[in-house]
Amino acid sequence: MAQQEKDPAEGGQTDRSLTMSRAMVEAIAHEMREDDDVFYMGEDVADYGGIFDSTEGLLEEFGRDRIMDVPISETAYIGAAVGAAQAGMRPIAELMFVDFFGVGMDQIYNQMAKNTYMSGGAVSVPMVLTAAVGGTYNDAAQHSQTLYGTFAHLPGMKVVVPSTAYDAKGLMHNAIRDDDPVVYLFHKRLMGIGWLPAPDGPKTPVPEDEYTIPFGSADVKREGSDVTVVTLGLHVHRALEAADELADDGIDAEVVDLRTLVPLDTETVRDSVAKTGRLVVVDEDYRSFGVTGEIVARVAEAEDGLAALEAVERVAVPDVPLPYARPMENEVIPDAEDITDAVRAAHGDE
Amino acid sequence: MSPDDDRVAVDTGDVWPEDTDEDEGVVVNWFLREGADVEAGDDLCEFQVEKVSVDVPAPTDGTIDEIVLEEDDEFERGAVLAWIEPE
Amino acid sequence: MVSVTDLQEMYEAMVTARQYEERLQEEYLEGKQPAFDISAGPIPGELHLAAGHEASGAGVCQHLRDDDTVTAPHRPHHIAVAKGVDLKRMTAEIFGRETGLSKGKGGHMHLFDPDVNFACSGIIAEGCPPAVGAGLAAKKRNTDSVAVAFLGEGAIDQGAFLESLNLAAVQDLPVVFVVEDNDWAISMPKDRVTDVENGARRADGFDMPGTRVDADDAVAVYEAAREAIGRAQDRNGPSLLEVQVHRRMGHFMGDPEAYRSDEDKAAAERRDSIDRLEADLRAHGVDDETIDELRSSARERVEEAIEWAKEQPEPEPADAHEDVFTNPPSGVTDSEPNVAKTETGGDD
Repeated sequence: MAQQEKDPAEGGQTDRSLTMSRAMVEAIAHEMREDDDVFYMGEDVADYGGIFDSTEGLLEEFGRDRIMDVPISETAYIGAAVGAAQAGMRPIAELMFVDFFGVGMDQIYNQMAKNTYMSGGAVSVPMVLTAAVGGTYNDAAQHSQTLYGTFAHLPGMKVVVPSTAYDAKGLMHNAIRDDDPVVYLFHKRLMGIGWLPAPDGPKTPVPEDEYTIPFGSADVKREGSDVTVVTLGLHVHRALEAADELADDGIDAEVVDLRTLVPLDTETVRDSVAKTGRLVVVDEDYRSFGVTGEIVARVAEAEDGLAALEAVERVAVPDVPLPYARPMENEVIPDAEDITDAVRAAHGDE
Repeated sequence: MSPDDDRVAVDTGDVWPEDTDEDEGVVVNWFLREGADVEAGDDLCEFQVEKVSVDVPAPTDGTIDEIVLEEDDEFERGAVLAWIEPE
Repeated sequence: MVSVTDLQEMYEAMVTARQYEERLQEEYLEGKQPAFDISAGPIPGELHLAAGHEASGAGVCQHLRDDDTVTAPHRPHHIAVAKGVDLKRMTAEIFGRETGLSKGKGGHMHLFDPDVNFACSGIIAEGCPPAVGAGLAAKKRNTDSVAVAFLGEGAIDQGAFLESLNLAAVQDLPVVFVVEDNDWAISMPKDRVTDVENGARRADGFDMPGTRVDADDAVAVYEAAREAIGRAQDRNGPSLLEVQVHRRMGHFMGDPEAYRSDEDKAAAERRDSIDRLEADLRAHGVDDETIDELRSSARERVEEAIEWAKEQPEPEPADAHEDVFTNPPSGVTDSEPNVAKTETGGDD
């Protein structure tokens, strides 16, 4: 296709914007052209192009040998990705919904995540496990979770959560090239799919050229001096919406997008809190034993961390499964108003 | 299309999905802005008919002179999405 | 031989289920046109309709009593109708209402009606192990009830299914596994994901009977199910049935089915098990008037359920915090609301 060969420097496409799904796919396609060892396995990833457009158009370019529809057998194909990775290939395996991780969890946390360690570093598992995450469209308890904290808790996996098209592409390049297993969690609501409209924000300008975003580099999506809001995924955009509203009342919120949970960029978070003295952590995962508690602990552990910390608030899904009906789902998934309220509380407003 | 206008229309009818009786669509995504240079075949935008998503390629080399239908706009089959000033 | 009463009851279940899916389709698409937004309209989220699967639900459940257990997958409505799940409360659940089977917490993939021992899982093949457990309970308590696990043909490649076959077999449990083969696992045709065309052959590896009903035919399903369920009732162990059905409304509502040929879609439309059963009814001397009555009473029942459901109140947001536990650890609610909400009151 002509547009793929065009030099971005002279073409008009340098100022093009992409949806997050298209940016992800562009990175995957690039890596597949560069390296024959990269291939993609999952359910409905070939003809369908991924239920959430994660592989849209790849079958046409790369064929069925490299864009592989597999049986509904998560244990087998995720485990096969582990084995192929250990044999030197660079597989990408997709879990259609992250909620299905339970079906193949042993291969994920006992094989994929541990083989490097258990082999004393003799074995590498250079694979990517992609999965769709998140709620906000009433798909109920078995199809709406993020489970960010679950993967980040278990050692041996790098965990990536993009919030924009630009980040999604750079992080995907990195994920495929990384010599360790990377869990790449894309939020359904951010992909830019027509039938699941995205908020303003995830669609960004995306260079045609390859680029990488190093893991462990959080991104300050909005600078502010009064309160630090640390978040990831969909809630980056909800936090930015809250920050805009707070700005009208003279509260200047800084929004830190973690981008990766493993490794975690503690420094950026601590620097921000050192500046603002107030921390609000926002997460679409369950509250207890998760991202919110971890971030607060990392800040508190820092030298003079507790002294710098004037106020802390956590905004997360309470410890209930995701309910189906709209009023209840809206209740448990934090929205911009919940974030606004928490920032005001941290700021000392009533 | 007026005769004194040499701009080229980006016509939704040209790329309408085959397997549908539906005559209404909605613009889902624009990838380029007014003023952007395009080559024939570049993806300009995406619209949706029922749940079918359609990518709209530039019909000619040129510059996007005017975007007529913005994101979330609903339209009838055959509506003009944009005008391109050919090179 | 199948009795006229059985034929009529199966017909009633099947036309009710079909009518139900057609009406839900209409309701679901409200607010989703021309732009299909999955979270809009009176029924949000995914909706997997079972039009074309009716013969399987009716032919099997015709043999079941309320104390027999059924587990259903993400496409459960036709099975629920045939098992006698409360149609009004099921509909209220699908509309996300307070008086729904699960008070609006479950939705259409997670229907639970303990009165008739019906449960669902939205995760492929994961309803199989609980059905084995129901069979185990029946054996331990020495009752004559049985358990039936319904699953799709895409699920027969899952460990949960294969492990369940083995456990049920080695323990001689009264369980019947019913595979509904609609040819498609979302976009993946059967021959792409398994080399075994006849899924009932999976039974061979566990030394249990496996039968495939090739035609989308309620009477043939009824006959095959009678043998399998009879075997379970006689405490002779589990069986596997595979039943050919057809998918007439896509994997989920709004599925563009771009991967599926027009011929395949047209063939699924042609092979209508309801028409077939209607011919069987006539062959058994049932007249037009009776058939019309069965159809119109099904229509009325569906309409009544939908109207009732739409009048029901929505749950309160705070209800989300209840029902995590049967015995909540402490306090009135199971979970803490969001911090910000705690501070703005609402300690109910």
